[in-house]
Amino acid sequence: MKAAHLIEQIREANLSYLLLAKQLINEDKDEAIIRLGIDENTADLLSQLTTAQVLRMASSELPMCSVRFDDPQVWKLASDQGKDRMISGMHASILMAGRSVTLNN
Amino acid sequence: MAKLKSLVTEAEQIELASKLIRMDARLQVLESETQLSRERLIRLYKEIKLKSPPKGMLPFSTDWFMTWQPNIHGSLFMNFYDACIKATNMDDGTALVQAYKMYREQIAQLGLPEVLSMTRAWRLVKFVDAGMLTTTACKCCSGRYVVHTYDLVNDYECGLCKVPSRAGKTKQEAASRFFNEEALQPA
Repeated sequence: MKAAHLIEQIREANLSYLLLAKQLINEDKDEAIIRLGIDENTADLLSQLTTAQVLRMASSELPMCSVRFDDPQVWKLASDQGKDRMISGMHASILMAGRSVTLNN
Repeated sequence: MAKLKSLVTEAEQIELASKLIRMDARLQVLESETQLSRERLIRLYKEIKLKSPPKGMLPFSTDWFMTWQPNIHGSLFMNFYDACIKATNMDDGTALVQAYKMYREQIAQLGLPEVLSMTRAWRLVKFVDAGMLTTTACKCCSGRYVVHTYDLVNDYECGLCKVPSRAGKTKQEAASRFFNEEALQPA
């Protein structure tokens, strides 16, 4: 029962992610490439998917999106609730903005 | 100045110029990023802003980017700009607009003031292109920050890993610009 529920949640997350990605790419491809941290080929592939294909892809029990930042420092800063929340937020933003480049190449 | 022959190119340039004007770019930025004539740019500026473009000199100092708060804001913008240039084939003007848009969104989301204006951001890109400024990795967080090209940066520690003792506290207003009220209350 619990497993079925989890798989359902994965499917929902897949569907929202794919739809969001498609929407971003259709609005502005270059911007989407930066925001999603994907390469141009993936962006083209995604934008060419039909709705039926998106639904079929999303129905996989394998999550379609993965965690983007594996640096513990980014996690620490981004989740920091300390008193200098703005400073750590800014710090996390700089690190994440820098990491999105290396991810693409 | 090369005269524009293609109407499509001209339309694209007017589009870019209007985006820049809406982001409060000065006339010099428009002149450098587009090939439209000065007269047309002034007309466009008046049409969008309903006033004449401001006159006077542009901010020209590289040292401004070395002070604590501007350095952080400049570095954030530069990271976005690099991402735009490296990951896509945007031209320089589009990358400037895109990076500034993302910088603005990030700042707004954190509730911080816009320290870096569009004109400053453009100057920063020009300084980097001219080799006067560059970015280097901090030895603690390995994020990239704006520094002078010929600074000794082997042991560079960024202003966020090692916050100066009186950072952002020169005036009371300045303090509340970076620290939220909850942080200002004594523990």
